[in-house]
Amino acid sequence: MTASSVQPVPSATAPPVVVARGLTKTYDTGGSQVHALAGVDVDFHRGAFTAIMGPSGSGKSTLMHCLAGLDVPTSGTVHLGRTQITGLRDSELTLLRRDRIGFIFQSFNLLPMLTAEQNILLPSQIAKRRIDQQRFDHIIDVVGLRDRLDHLPTKLSGGQQQRVAVARALLNAPEVVYADEPTGNLDSRSGAEVLAFLRDSAKDLDQTIVMVTHDPVAASYADRVVFLRDGRLVDEVTDPNPELVSARLLKLEA
Amino acid sequence: MLRTTLAGLRLHKSRYVTTVLAILLGVMFVSGTMVFADTLKANYEESVMGSATTVDAIAEPAEPEPGEDGEYVALEPLTEEQLADIRALPEVAEADGLVRGQAVLLDADGRAFGFTPPSAVSVEGASRFDAAQGELPSADDEIALATSTAEQSGFGVGDTVTVLDPDQERREFTVTGLVNFGVDPEYSMTGAVVFAPDTIEEMTGATGYAEIDAIAAEGFTDEQAADAVGDVLGASAEVMTGEEYGLEMAEGVGAETEMFRIALLLFAFIAMFVAGIVIYNTFAILIAQRQRELALLRCVGAKRSQVFRSVLLESVVVGLVASALGVLAGVGIGFAGASFAAPAMGADGGVPVIITPVAILVGLGVGTIVTVFSAMIPALRATRVAPLAALRTSATASGIEKGTGWIRVVFGLLTFAVSGAMVALTQVSGPTQAGPIVVTAAALVAFVGVVVLGPLLVRGIVRLVGAPLRRVGVASMLAVDNSVRSPRRAATAMIALTVGATLITGYSVVSASTESTLTRMLDEQFPVDYQINPQFAMEEPAGTGDASDAEAAAEDAPADGTAEGAETAEGSAEPGAEPSTAPAEGTGGAPEEGADAEGGTTADAGTPEFGFVPEEVRRDLADEPTIAGVFGQRSGSLVTEDGGYMSLVAYTNAEMGTDLTVDTVEGDLSDVGPGRIALAEGVDDSLSVGDTYTLSSEDADLDLEVAAIVEASVGAWSGYVHADDLATLFPEATQDEALLIRGERDADPAELREAVYASVEDDPTLQVMSVAEIKEQFSDMMDIAFYTIAAMLGLAIIIAVFGISNTMALSVLERTRESAMLRALGLARGQLRRMLSVEAVLLCLIGAGIGIVLGVVFGWAAADSVLPGMVFSLPAGQIAVFIAVAVLAGLLASILPGRRAAGTSITGALASE
Repeated sequence: MTASSVQPVPSATAPPVVVARGLTKTYDTGGSQVHALAGVDVDFHRGAFTAIMGPSGSGKSTLMHCLAGLDVPTSGTVHLGRTQITGLRDSELTLLRRDRIGFIFQSFNLLPMLTAEQNILLPSQIAKRRIDQQRFDHIIDVVGLRDRLDHLPTKLSGGQQQRVAVARALLNAPEVVYADEPTGNLDSRSGAEVLAFLRDSAKDLDQTIVMVTHDPVAASYADRVVFLRDGRLVDEVTDPNPELVSARLLKLEA
Repeated sequence: MLRTTLAGLRLHKSRYVTTVLAILLGVMFVSGTMVFADTLKANYEESVMGSATTVDAIAEPAEPEPGEDGEYVALEPLTEEQLADIRALPEVAEADGLVRGQAVLLDADGRAFGFTPPSAVSVEGASRFDAAQGELPSADDEIALATSTAEQSGFGVGDTVTVLDPDQERREFTVTGLVNFGVDPEYSMTGAVVFAPDTIEEMTGATGYAEIDAIAAEGFTDEQAADAVGDVLGASAEVMTGEEYGLEMAEGVGAETEMFRIALLLFAFIAMFVAGIVIYNTFAILIAQRQRELALLRCVGAKRSQVFRSVLLESVVVGLVASALGVLAGVGIGFAGASFAAPAMGADGGVPVIITPVAILVGLGVGTIVTVFSAMIPALRATRVAPLAALRTSATASGIEKGTGWIRVVFGLLTFAVSGAMVALTQVSGPTQAGPIVVTAAALVAFVGVVVLGPLLVRGIVRLVGAPLRRVGVASMLAVDNSVRSPRRAATAMIALTVGATLITGYSVVSASTESTLTRMLDEQFPVDYQINPQFAMEEPAGTGDASDAEAAAEDAPADGTAEGAETAEGSAEPGAEPSTAPAEGTGGAPEEGADAEGGTTADAGTPEFGFVPEEVRRDLADEPTIAGVFGQRSGSLVTEDGGYMSLVAYTNAEMGTDLTVDTVEGDLSDVGPGRIALAEGVDDSLSVGDTYTLSSEDADLDLEVAAIVEASVGAWSGYVHADDLATLFPEATQDEALLIRGERDADPAELREAVYASVEDDPTLQVMSVAEIKEQFSDMMDIAFYTIAAMLGLAIIIAVFGISNTMALSVLERTRESAMLRALGLARGQLRRMLSVEAVLLCLIGAGIGIVLGVVFGWAAADSVLPGMVFSLPAGQIAVFIAVAVLAGLLASILPGRRAAGTSITGALASE
């Protein structure tokens, strides 16, 4: 199976939110060239929760960074909706991230000197956006942070901190949310909470979510899992379960 | 361990750049001062020695025993016969005498040059002086000028100058040459002119020799010649070899250079102190950031003592390198100072720059010791890192410092209370000499309080100032929150700035208050426009001793003021020693009192010819339509039974209480009249209005009724009496020693000026002073002092700004991931930079703000503790400038950290641990 043979998921009827074509990313490391991405075509549809998987060094983080406009691919294009984000200037990318993309990182997600509520509202403040109070209340209730809003991050558990980060990413209803190993630092119970919440919000809020992970259990919460190896998209699974994902992953690493 | 330390240093050298700069600047100041002062001293010494060693023996009339009652006995000049005896000595090849008197030199405007007439001497044959340019005068219409006099008066070789002879007749001379009298205080203060030997007596009335210089005959040493001369002259003269004489004089000027050196070193000390704070903070932050690294060292078996030594070693290396660079820079600065500033300070600049081993060693030592000492506490803290910390994740960055302990709060408040009590004490005790010292101590105590409460202050002020800032935008909101993340770190960074801000504000408050106090005295108490004084013609040598003192004061005024910081009020309270402002006092109050007693006694004990203003001048002036009033001033002073010094004044043609107002405690100034005196507060506290006060002078005893008690103020007279009573006490005080002139309210200033000058046209020696000019001169002087101090403190402020920049840079490093996250969330590069700018500006403003508050409070307290009747003046303009500088400093401090933060790639920062 080659990268070019992987077609966009036919089952999804909604139009794709994010479209990447022919993405490559090459690093020069003292003479030798490393191909972090070697030609990736991939689509992400509205309301879909997609997991990107692959062994270490497969290029999954690089792919996410390029899709999110954090990193510039060597060649290829990325579209977010009608906007081609490859080729945008830094200030335009900043505005794009601010207004149309949500982020959840593995750690260092929150500013330590801001309360949970301030952290959640931070992107809106950066963008000087009016806050949709209804959506805020809804999200807070769903993530169950109502009684923790005025706590500083140090007073929150890891799971709670990550839920704050999720709430922050979802508040503005961005076109796409990128999550980089969102449960990497969490115990399994907290992780499950966060993942369930991500899955639910994709459904209930019609939220497009792209998650990078190396944990088959985490990936199994997604609607679709795409597998990456040596900078190429090599496989994908829809409606995954942990066993299936593990098996495919093992096959990849073999 | 050594290898690990050095490898670590090499790896992190960029983190030490600002620390190195801070030490470098401090050390530069220290070494530069040493080099400059050494060079200056050598220069002075050479110029003094150079002139003295051209002759082998120098004889001067011996200082006579003081007469009874400490009365001054004039020096007995050496005689013609004595010179002949010396010339006859076999040990002496050549000897010549120097005649010295005074002569009134007229400047280009036809007014007498200088506040006192220049010395007039004759130089011939064997003399330690020779023409530096042109020829010595030989004819009776020739004259030579001292180089300094030529410079000040604008005359040069070939010009024609006018000199008054003893009968006040004008005589014209052609300038044939310039003579460099160097730093010899005898000539440098008043200036000097040189006449031909045959003209000197005619022009000055001086006879006999003030100095005889001799050259040893061949085969005799200078000691032998000096001994022989000494034998001939006996007790009538003091004889020294040229070298001894030079050394003695060099010692005198050397002392001045030492004062100068100490003053500069004081500022260097402040700079080093601030550098110490910066170093401490840098090491503290680095240690905090390297916790894991240190823990790893402990994990692999390093002992606590090894960790401690490793950190200290790091500081030794940093200190040594920075100090070495600082010494180099200091030598450069000293060199620049010696080439540019030394000529302005009267040094010839003929001597190469002197770099003593002491200058180098002191610079290296001070820099290294301060660095190591400042790194001590962080090093100790490093030893407390547990090996386990290596295994913990996110050891730094996420934490927010814990609150301030109550012990800290109590201790801090206690220091403020103690400081307040000390200030209150000076308020209760009234103006004393010790006042400024107590206030300085109080300021130090309060500073300790600020250090202790620093974190709390930062948090409190940020909360207050931050509230409106938060609403401005997300960048400033984040900045406000960031600035209190590590209050201790922020507090240390800003305190470095507080030091400089306090000192400079304190000085500017003292300076402004002194100026406004004196101005008020001039304006309100005795509003006059002009003052006419006779030229201060003190007879030798009462004049010389005094003159050199005055000169020292005049030259040191700015430097001295700088040195004394808060105590400058004192310096400004004694402008009696200052020729340029002395006449101002006649208007406001008496010269020579208190701090100035020395000058006063000299003037008293000697028989200075104060001179008088001729009655015709007064009459002429009184007839002028533009002039509203001409008041004569007469004064005398006496010593009371209990040894107190009293200065009495009488104003003729002036209505007390109307023309002259002084704030009274009791009674009415207008009641002063024959037999009735107004006494200053504190002369005799048991007296009140209506009592009788007895004055005893050498000539009379007089019982006077106390008409009023007036408030004591700076340099005020002890008593105001009627002219008749003054004449009873001091029979010689029957003429006006000064005229005070008040113009008509609507008089044209130019016409008034013309009228005043017209009245003295026939008397070139009368000195006309415009009060406006006096004020301006005084104000200029204060300004110069202020700018000098500001420049000196500038370095400490620059170092503090480096410290703040460094703190910011290290914080940025710590928050790399956080910054990347913010950027990912859509914070623009500009916003990130603005965030850091606001944070730095906030820190600088807090540091400067606390400094300004401390400076205003203690500046006021210091001024009030020495200046009676002080008029407090807040230098709002200057303070606004300080605040603007603080904002600018913050912006500058955030440039580099901001660039680094904004330049970091988001993905790189996210990927790194």
